[in-house]
Amino acid sequence: MFSKLALRNVRRSFRDYGVYLLTLTFGVCLFYTFNSIEGQGAIVYLSQSKNPIVDVIMTIIDIFSVFVAVVLACLILYANRFLLRRRKRELGTYLLLGLSQGQVSRLLFLETGIVGLISLAAGLVLGVLASFGMSALTLSLFQMDVSALLALNFSPQAAGRTVLYFGIIFLLVMALSGVQVSRSKLIDLIHGERKNEVLKPRPLMAAVVQLILGVVCLIAAYAILLVFGMAVAVAVPFLCFPMLGLGTLGTLLIFRSLSGFVMKFVQNRPGLYFKNLNVFTLRQWLSKVHTTYLAQTVVCILLLLAIGITASCMGLNFTLNSLTDGEAPVDLTLWDYYNTVEGEEPLDFPALLQEGGVDVDSRLSGQASILLYRNDPEITGFGQKEGEAVQAVLALSDYNRQLALLGQPAIALAPGAYQTVEESPINGASHWRWLIVEDTVAEKLEIQNQCWSANYAENAEETERTIFQLIAPMDTTRSVYADSRLETYMDMMGSKILVLFLGLYLGFTFLLAAAAVLALQQLSQGADNTRRYAVLRRLGAEEKQVARSATQQVALAFLLPLVLALVHSVVGMKAANEIIATAGRVDSAASSAVTAGVLLIVYGGYFLATSLACRRMAKNA
Amino acid sequence: MAEILTVTDLKKVYGKGGSLTRALDGVSLSLEAGEFVGVMGPSGSGKTTLLNCVSTIDRPSAGSIVIDGRELTRLKGKELAKFRRERLGFIFQDCNLLDTLTAYENIALSLSIIRAPAQKIDRRVREMADFLGIADCLNKYPYQMSGGQQQRCAAARAMVTHPALVLADEPTGALDSKASSMLLGRLDALNQELGTTILMVTHDAFTASCCRRVVFLQDGQIFLELHRGNDSRKSFFQKIIRVVTEMGGGMADVL
Repeated sequence: MFSKLALRNVRRSFRDYGVYLLTLTFGVCLFYTFNSIEGQGAIVYLSQSKNPIVDVIMTIIDIFSVFVAVVLACLILYANRFLLRRRKRELGTYLLLGLSQGQVSRLLFLETGIVGLISLAAGLVLGVLASFGMSALTLSLFQMDVSALLALNFSPQAAGRTVLYFGIIFLLVMALSGVQVSRSKLIDLIHGERKNEVLKPRPLMAAVVQLILGVVCLIAAYAILLVFGMAVAVAVPFLCFPMLGLGTLGTLLIFRSLSGFVMKFVQNRPGLYFKNLNVFTLRQWLSKVHTTYLAQTVVCILLLLAIGITASCMGLNFTLNSLTDGEAPVDLTLWDYYNTVEGEEPLDFPALLQEGGVDVDSRLSGQASILLYRNDPEITGFGQKEGEAVQAVLALSDYNRQLALLGQPAIALAPGAYQTVEESPINGASHWRWLIVEDTVAEKLEIQNQCWSANYAENAEETERTIFQLIAPMDTTRSVYADSRLETYMDMMGSKILVLFLGLYLGFTFLLAAAAVLALQQLSQGADNTRRYAVLRRLGAEEKQVARSATQQVALAFLLPLVLALVHSVVGMKAANEIIATAGRVDSAASSAVTAGVLLIVYGGYFLATSLACRRMAKNA
Repeated sequence: MAEILTVTDLKKVYGKGGSLTRALDGVSLSLEAGEFVGVMGPSGSGKTTLLNCVSTIDRPSAGSIVIDGRELTRLKGKELAKFRRERLGFIFQDCNLLDTLTAYENIALSLSIIRAPAQKIDRRVREMADFLGIADCLNKYPYQMSGGQQQRCAAARAMVTHPALVLADEPTGALDSKASSMLLGRLDALNQELGTTILMVTHDAFTASCCRRVVFLQDGQIFLELHRGNDSRKSFFQKIIRVVTEMGGGMADVL
């Protein structure tokens, strides 16, 4: 009997449950997608090459999953409380009909269970698809053809973990709704729909003072961030807390005062004030400000987090991308540190490889061996002045041979002259400064080590594996180590993917939370407004006008926090980019584009769904 | 005088097949410009249905309604909304003011809806508020006003657009006697001084006694019509009471 009633309740209040269900489903989908990265192409590829970053990625995602689960739990509990408030009268009727509170709790328990099951199933299906999309996205980051790794795959482990986490969340929700029912009084439930919101005419001066105060707070917070830079402002507690506090307070004050301010502004413009249903729309907004400005502030901060995290991670991601070339200009460099004092000679790598079964001519497209010397200012004439320092000295002929391998034109030196070079010609020395001197000068210098570089012809991975096997024993007998582009690339990809995953994961979570909070609030208000829409219609307002007013109200609620969050994040990103810039060039246009895309899909989607639902409510009023 | 409202043989049937309810069973009625007519009758006599049909909220099953020369039953969708906002004014029992708007804005909103020129709105709202004696509470929200003030505000909202016909559904239903007299006095003044045509539904004899003519409905049909003529309000009130008792008496015979 109860299960039937519960099932029918869920079906009947599908509209009420709509956003709730959507949020749950998205939450499950998000959670599954990021927990199933193990089976996704990019990670499969990285773990095939035994890249240690895979473990790091998995651990970090694990840790953040707990955090995300907590955020989602809070969101779901909030959504559930909202739903329960909407259904007060219905629950009151059950009690009035003689159901015990235990029975009503059981009914809610069942309903939550049904909704939970539906959203889990839908979320997992969506999650498998999203996981495929994620896989395609991350694989597309690789500059080589790895499309073979792209496949639809279901990770039972991730699914199990999703079910576990959400199971706990649902149990929590069930328990809390039971508690809420058993603690509420029948009279409150029956009169649950009657709401007394006290609307006091508030003096304009108060609004003006609040607005000015809010703007001052924000400017102070921005100033702290921009003057000290993000690294200092975040790390030093007595800067960090005032900055966050001022920022939050400023946001709060602006939301609190803005509507009153706008109202006064519009009232002085009859053309705008009396146009269409503007009076009504504005008053609706004003009447809710004193109950919603807190929520708007929270939403604004969530949005800021979402935008900031996504944009920073995207920025870092693009920056890392441009780094690979600087780190590894050739396919392979073997660093050979030999003991000149004991009379050791440089190794003849081509001969060694040939001996070991690597056909140098066919397997390599080019190779060059150079000697690195220690600088002696007495001999080279460079480095006597303060701040003149180089990491290594190269003979001109060596350098030109290396340039030929890189496919660059040779350089020439005037007799007795030298030249410094910033761009590394070999792997593993990206931030070095080089001094190029004439061969005759170089001969007088102390040898530091030998570097043999090569480019592979074809089948790079196999060639590299063979070479690595050959030189592996030399690591102990004589200090030889390899620096290959493939390895650098893999490390870079690992970091990229980690940053990308984290950015999208957290960004989506916060965005989802912000959008869902707003949507629930607007839907609940939309339901309260139906009575008012009926009055408007009786006064002869056109359907179109009423629908437009409903949309405008939703748009105001969605846009205001977004605008302020965008302003915040522009300032925040300016500070964050300074940090990212230390790692390399910042591509802010690309990161902004990706962030905007994500924002548009999630936030825009919620806005659309909410405004459509509110329009429908207005229409049926 | 020109006829503002002509209702001819109006029928409204609810339900289907065996369980038919005839809410209106051939009602004919006509109002001339500047008339103040009351419709009385016990619960279930069809007065609210009549008002709903005239106010275009409900559609009749048969018959015709002509307001200001327009046949209502032929109007559709948008035309209907346009007609309603331009030619009709409503006053309801639960005054139906928007709780989030001030009194001033409630009145101004109905002018906004008919797209009155913005510069004239302020003057028109204040004039109407003065007339109805609510000028000093224009900046209050509905919950800050007394029931009588709210109802007069609703009346101002209905009248400010200068409608051809004002429809009032139990306007005094939720008011105490003092507030009722005040409201009725103002409605009477509106009728006398501005020549507004008013059709008022009520079941209260005292309220009905301020009308110039009272129509009695019973079981969906017109039972009787009383004209005030040159009677004082008191004697008209007694006539009405006599009719109401007679209508109740019909029931007493059965008992």
